[in-house]
Amino acid sequence: MIHVMRSTCLSFLLTATLAPLAAAGHAQSSQLPEGAHRDTVQRVCSSCHSVQMFTARKMSREQWGTTVSSMVARGAKINDDEFDQIVGYLATTFPLNGEAGTGAATTKQAKAPRRPSLIDQAGSDDKQIVDEDAAARGKTVYIAQCITCHGTRARGGSRGADLVRSVVVLHDRYGSTIGPYLTQGHPKSKPVELTQEQVKELSHFLHQQIGDTLRTGPYNNPLDILVGDAKAGKLYFENTGGCAKCHSVTGDLAHIAGKYAPPALQQKVVFPQNRAITKQGTASRQLVTTITVTTSSGTTVTGEPLNLDDFNVSLRDANGHYFSFACSPELKVEKHNPYAGHEALLDTYTDKDIHDVVSYLETLQ
Amino acid sequence: MKLLATFFLALFTVASMRAEGPEQTGPAKQTGGGLDPAVLLNPTPDSWPTYNGDYSGRRFSTLTQINDKNVKSLSLAWLYQLPSMGDGMVRRLAGTPIVVNGVMYITVPDHVWAIDARTSKPLWHYAWTSKGGIHLGNRGVGISGDSLYFETPDCNLVALNLADGTKRWSQSICDLDQMYYASVAPLVVKNHVITGVSGDDLDRPGFLEAHDPETGALQWRWSVVPSPGEPGSETWPDADAMAHGGGMTWISPTYDPELNLLYIGTGNPQPVIAGTGREGANLYTESIVALHADTGKMAWYFQPSPHDTHDWDAIQTPVLFEGVMEGKPRKLLAQASRNGWFFVLDRETGKNYVSSEFVKTNWTKGVDAKGQPIPNPAKEPQIPGVLVTPDSSGGVNWAPSTFSPKTGLFYINATRSFSMFYIYDDSQKPEGWGGHGIGVWSEAMLQAVDYRTGKIKWSHKWQTPGGESGLLSTAGNLVFAGDPNNNLVALDATTGNPLWHVNLGTGMSNGPITYELDGHQYLLVGAGDKLFAFVMN
Repeated sequence: MIHVMRSTCLSFLLTATLAPLAAAGHAQSSQLPEGAHRDTVQRVCSSCHSVQMFTARKMSREQWGTTVSSMVARGAKINDDEFDQIVGYLATTFPLNGEAGTGAATTKQAKAPRRPSLIDQAGSDDKQIVDEDAAARGKTVYIAQCITCHGTRARGGSRGADLVRSVVVLHDRYGSTIGPYLTQGHPKSKPVELTQEQVKELSHFLHQQIGDTLRTGPYNNPLDILVGDAKAGKLYFENTGGCAKCHSVTGDLAHIAGKYAPPALQQKVVFPQNRAITKQGTASRQLVTTITVTTSSGTTVTGEPLNLDDFNVSLRDANGHYFSFACSPELKVEKHNPYAGHEALLDTYTDKDIHDVVSYLETLQ
Repeated sequence: MKLLATFFLALFTVASMRAEGPEQTGPAKQTGGGLDPAVLLNPTPDSWPTYNGDYSGRRFSTLTQINDKNVKSLSLAWLYQLPSMGDGMVRRLAGTPIVVNGVMYITVPDHVWAIDARTSKPLWHYAWTSKGGIHLGNRGVGISGDSLYFETPDCNLVALNLADGTKRWSQSICDLDQMYYASVAPLVVKNHVITGVSGDDLDRPGFLEAHDPETGALQWRWSVVPSPGEPGSETWPDADAMAHGGGMTWISPTYDPELNLLYIGTGNPQPVIAGTGREGANLYTESIVALHADTGKMAWYFQPSPHDTHDWDAIQTPVLFEGVMEGKPRKLLAQASRNGWFFVLDRETGKNYVSSEFVKTNWTKGVDAKGQPIPNPAKEPQIPGVLVTPDSSGGVNWAPSTFSPKTGLFYINATRSFSMFYIYDDSQKPEGWGGHGIGVWSEAMLQAVDYRTGKIKWSHKWQTPGGESGLLSTAGNLVFAGDPNNNLVALDATTGNPLWHVNLGTGMSNGPITYELDGHQYLLVGAGDKLFAFVMN
């Protein structure tokens, strides 16, 4: 799959992280809905992709946070305030089943809620719109008539075809192709006898299964990531990893496991720039990367970089004053990256190190 | 119509003969005339007639009017902004413009515009009424005779009259219900219009097709994944896995007229991340494949990412050039692949000469006897996550690289990145993606690779991550690139030293191109919904 293109922002297209987007057809004509900080979303996000790509997605605050965070890694220039504004707008405007703002952590135990998926964007505009209630009734039809051969997720088995990947089902609209098929073509055994209404409900159920299979479906969440050895993790934390040089389990990391669900905790260890949403529903704050610019006359300015490339450096200092410089051999630019220690570990970690240290941190309830 | 084409051709020939001398004024050439496909064998410098400018995929121009000595004098000729379609959408020029006979043809999904290459004056606009599909980007058009060809998100190949943009015919090339879509710039080779397909949300097999330029009729289809019993089927566990094996053909092929071979890079296998149901190398996904242009029969293959589980489509353009290997002149092919590796092959036989990393990776256990990387099973996605570099976006994504025969260097706008790769679907039969990679760190750099050794000759690191624009190299000792901060940058092709830049306000969304009109060399780039034409006066 190609992404923006980071494909570039294509590159997002070929990229995998973001479900592609732009909605087709009628959806194209819609503007982003009103909401606090819509302007920020338009301004920041539309430089790389159509913001209409949001309109067919529904995610929790945590998931929106992960998505926007990954955009930062791909070059989106967003400060903490803008991050909160963007995630706030998206989580409020495009919430998961109306759970706006709850920041419910996804856990293995949590019942996976249904949400519209990529099938809402991929495929034809006249695709079947799943009626969840009808799908629930269709599920009872399925269990009674089909599950033995076609399996619990309709993915088939030795005795029955995979119905999620079935072209007959993919071409179906509200029973238009599966109805005739069941009465005339269902192989081997007896034709299935269903009422017209049951066929329609079964159709909704099968299309629901297709949607669930896609990468925005309800099964697409981390499972149990706590597989490490906490004791070994403690050793790594204190010795090999060098974590204790900057962190303290009774100081800044006290009760860290109460703040993040395990998958978020792991991401914070490996990618501290991940603005993972906490169990309390807020975005984790970022340490500030600063630069110090020294001019040829020896004056220095320190602050947060606003632009940094081969030709220009600009920053805002602690007093809110803005400075902009043309780059030259005489202009010295020094970066202060608070995450340099974590970044250096990317090349040295073993996967066991990561799992061990996360399991250790998970003991800090 | 044929008569008209002949007329255009005659004009074109006359024009070509008189193309010497920058300020020549001769008989008026019809602007916007047609293109004899035979001319594609040796494109004239006043044109950029295919996705890559020529069949080789080098994206190298012999023009030298703009060069390392004077690039600082480059100035803006015009700026064209796509018109608003009144629906609130901001569209992105994610394809390569085509320039033929003084007219430029640009696209976004469902739309084609012809504009005057001298002035950007719009000449015509064609809008396709869509039935759906993913509207992420369109890579541009192909041209042959007096027809223009493009693909639509709802799976159609559409032919327009070059002169006025009216529709000639359309032909379905994939099934929307199976969640394919179409975005590739068609490539015209002889009397074939070559089309690829896109989409990897549902597990479907990819394919490449040839269509009749006059009618759209299917001439041949090459299926990326074999059928049971065919060569390559031994790299799949069963017929069901093959029938759903993926391998989209996202990007236009390249072509060697002497060998009459097409070269195509194929996309990731499916299911994408959870590979438990498809043990084996999964041929011919993630492969560079040579196909006979008239039949679609495979001549050879080379697989950059056997049994991929990281979404590393090997669709990057297979770049064709001549070079010396093992003491002899060879017909070579090189690819900077999304998995972080650079390959040089013999394009007659597929024999491997160079396999090297252009960014440091951590997923292989070396290379096999064919020169293909051997994936380390420990770095396949796992339930608790596994740290892999590069991430799914890869060491390089779809945006084109460039090769300069003048410097012997292959240039890559590269990214180094990490992700934790997770399995989300631990069932016996995962489908779709079944997992995901999440990572929040990367760095970006322009890499110049010596094709003979695979060694990095120079590396220019960008100050911040992101970017990944396409590239262009020229005989003026220049490489043009987009940096992550919206700058279009000209670098010394030999040293990597930045020589000139301009901030476009938006990141470059395609690869730069160049051509010469009226004795002036133009440089053209797209950034978002804007096209910038720079000119040397």
